Amino acid sequence: MAVSTRRLQKELTEITTAGTPCGITLLKADDFQTWFLTLEVLGESLYQGEVFALMFRFDSQYPISSPAVQFVNDETYQPPIHPHVYSNGHICASILGSEWSPVLSVIAVCITLQSMLASCKDKTRPPDNDRYVAHAPDNPKKTRFVYHDDEV
Amino acid sequence: MKVVVKNWHAIAQWKWDTGNNDADDGDVEGDVCGICRVPYEGCCPSCKVPGDDCPLIWGECSHVFHMHCLLKWIGTAASKQQCPMDRRPWVTAERKVDATTNSAPTP
Repeated sequence: MAVSTRRLQKELTEITTAGTPCGITLLKADDFQTWFLTLEVLGESLYQGEVFALMFRFDSQYPISSPAVQFVNDETYQPPIHPHVYSNGHICASILGSEWSPVLSVIAVCITLQSMLASCKDKTRPPDNDRYVAHAPDNPKKTRFVYHDDEV
Repeated sequence: MKVVVKNWHAIAQWKWDTGNNDADDGDVEGDVCGICRVPYEGCCPSCKVPGDDCPLIWGECSHVFHMHCLLKWIGTAASKQQCPMDRRPWVTAERKVDATTNSAPTP
């Protein structure tokens, strides 16, 4: 059994028994490769009333290797408009890249992204959105993001 | 009266000495390795049998992990050789044996 399976099994058990934090729900976790969660910002924010979906993709080395995390972009869910979120759903957040730590978890990532949205003061796309999206790889982990501020 | 013991079962329990015994905060499940989330007394996901073959490792920052879990992390470039908990440079601590040997109860 892959190392990732055992760890994800534990996270899933915790989610189903203890529940998820406010504004975060588990949408789909049928296997230990891809999970979907919904995310919304509760309270006053620029994203009031909006619900987003996150896709997590795990490789067999999770949590030693970081999950590939992006916002879902389909008929039901669209990525939030945020200076660190590209219109294809890719996210520029240091904890998903150079600042990943194996003690983090799916829920910990969701909470970080939730607070990234909650603290947003300027609902705009990243300045290089069009250029990035035109050439972006399928897997955001293949992108070498440059982190512009250390708020997230 | 004469009692004859026909058979008996010895039961023992072991626990890693994490130096955290007196800080018993009522955590029923005990402490888990932050990387694999398996209790210290269990073994890392790569091992089948807990015990001496799957020991713990202590950092000078005081954080404890299954040795195999930590080494796997430290072996990656992404780790930058930092403790997963506090991102300080990982330095393996010498076990403080005196905490184990002088196990007289301290108030």
